[in-house]
Amino acid sequence: MTHRSDGGELLAIEGLRTHFFTQDGVVKAVDGVSFAIRHGGTMGVVGESGCGKSITALSVMRLIERPGRIVEGSIRLANRDLLSLSDEEMRDVRGNSISMIFQEPMTSLNPVYMCGDQISEAISLHEGISKREANDRAVEMLGQVGIPDAKRRAREYPHQLSGGMRQRVMIAMALSTNPELLIADEPTTALDVTIQAQILELMKALRERNRMAIMLITHDLGVIAEMADDVVVMYAGKVVEAADVTTVFERPHHPYSKGLLASIPRMGEKRHRLEVIQGVVPNPLNLPLGCLFKRRCPHAMPVCDTPPPLQEIEPGHLSRCWLTPAGEPPAIGPEPTREVAEEAAAALDVAR
Amino acid sequence: MESTQTTPLPGTAAGAVDEVDLTPVRTYWQLVRQRFVRHRLAVIAFFLMAILIAMALFIPLLSGDAWKETSLERINQPPSLTAPLGYDNLGINTFARLMKGLQTSLFIGFSAVVVIVMIGVTVGAMAGYFGGWADNALMRFVDIVLSIPTFFLILMLVAFWGTGNAWVIIIAIGLTGWTTAARLVRAEFLSLREADFVQAAKALGAGDRRIVVRHMIPSAMAPVVVAATLGIADSVVIEAALSFLGFGITPPEASLGNMLTKAQDYFYRDPLLAWYPGITLILVVLAASFLGDGLRDALDPRQRVEAN
Repeated sequence: MTHRSDGGELLAIEGLRTHFFTQDGVVKAVDGVSFAIRHGGTMGVVGESGCGKSITALSVMRLIERPGRIVEGSIRLANRDLLSLSDEEMRDVRGNSISMIFQEPMTSLNPVYMCGDQISEAISLHEGISKREANDRAVEMLGQVGIPDAKRRAREYPHQLSGGMRQRVMIAMALSTNPELLIADEPTTALDVTIQAQILELMKALRERNRMAIMLITHDLGVIAEMADDVVVMYAGKVVEAADVTTVFERPHHPYSKGLLASIPRMGEKRHRLEVIQGVVPNPLNLPLGCLFKRRCPHAMPVCDTPPPLQEIEPGHLSRCWLTPAGEPPAIGPEPTREVAEEAAAALDVAR
Repeated sequence: MESTQTTPLPGTAAGAVDEVDLTPVRTYWQLVRQRFVRHRLAVIAFFLMAILIAMALFIPLLSGDAWKETSLERINQPPSLTAPLGYDNLGINTFARLMKGLQTSLFIGFSAVVVIVMIGVTVGAMAGYFGGWADNALMRFVDIVLSIPTFFLILMLVAFWGTGNAWVIIIAIGLTGWTTAARLVRAEFLSLREADFVQAAKALGAGDRRIVVRHMIPSAMAPVVVAATLGIADSVVIEAALSFLGFGITPPEASLGNMLTKAQDYFYRDPLLAWYPGITLILVVLAASFLGDGLRDALDPRQRVEAN
């Protein structure tokens, strides 16, 4: 077992670009995403459907399929460059160092095998132990994720279990090899709220016990508040805001993050209508020039025709917006840095 | 590993214990059987097929060479205890010959289906799993095979490789009949490839081979089983047709087809000689079809058993 210390970076994503080369053009599903997850930390990745959060996760697992391709960037897990590993080495990383649980517990288990067998398969894939031992471990894992009467449940088929039970089986499967990083892609979206709370509690407890890091993908800010240490807000394939969870909830800077926060109903607050973010996510085949959010942004101003850089507005708080740290429009037009100017020129090129 | 400790975790709500129900856990095959027996026609077909197979196996074994022994004294003798269907114009025990013919036909039918399934599943799985140009190339090849009139291709192959050999017929049927199985498996694989559990298996680090063999083929088998049982019926009919035309099993070897050929010479004097192999053929085909139907319903684990 590798030694896990707090503080150090476990996963570092740097300038990741994953593009899909469709017949209608190039979809830049992930376009220059960078963030890092600390050992034992929980990173929340938030955004609307189609903002690239799942594609980021699949890129980390290197499970992007045609017509998609990781075009650029680096993904380092404990100082190992995942993008330069051979397919075989990568298979060993999957399920062993990084595990993933999916949104749909109803369909993520193979209907033709007993739950116990699916867990023991995951174990024996990575550890050369006998089938018996693997089976014992599978039952033990089911017990650990709070499935009563684990021995019997291990011999049941997925269709015989409820949704919450199945998600527990998925978690048992993902954790059976004691991974350093768990990627949870909307783990509770398909479950009802009481089960949701149970599953989140379970994930928290297992995180403490196994000292693993979690990359939590969700559009549910409640889940983020509950679980995450750090948050990355994504919009149209780019990170628009990144900070620790308290900062994002107390002092969101980017208008999109503010919009997301304003659209959650709060208890005890009288409001006739919930705030909505006007408009829709831009067509990925036809992204606007400049700031990708400008068409929906209440603060849109002329300067937004130039793509804003992701800049530090206070220590540890990044935002991709021209507004000043105080939230004011910039006094003078920004002096385009070289980087920004190049990006704008590139965007224009693509447009032509 | 600290996994040996099993202190209760938060979130494993005490209420979860209520979820323990006491219905017995059924294994996969118990479930399959339970669903299969609800399909009455399929159960009848199953027993019919079992009886046909048992008769085809044991009666020729017990009656020795009776199926080809001619005898001048017994020509056209009526039925008796040792010859329930009488004797034909050469003094051969018709029942013994019918059973030997059934044995040949069933052997060819089942073996051809094994070849069909092996080729069909391999081609279909590769096309469906890898997609892209592999899919295109393989499926266009399927189209080519389909565009050739199958029966004439089989006739040609048999004529080329030699008539009267059961293995030649099996290979010929196998090489021409796999297209349906391939298409079915490909179609299943195209949707299975996107299935969440396949993605989950990949995320656990399973390789292509394991995913195809362990996770996808079992889920794609239901339509293949149906195609295969129907394939038994088809193959038996093709064999009969070949033998009828003189390209299949030739006398003195017995098959349902060449018994029919012979019967047409005596059709007015002894029409029963045509009825026996004809009815046997129909029984085989019907049994195989209904069996296929029942198995399809039973093998699909997504169909739940209602409590009753």
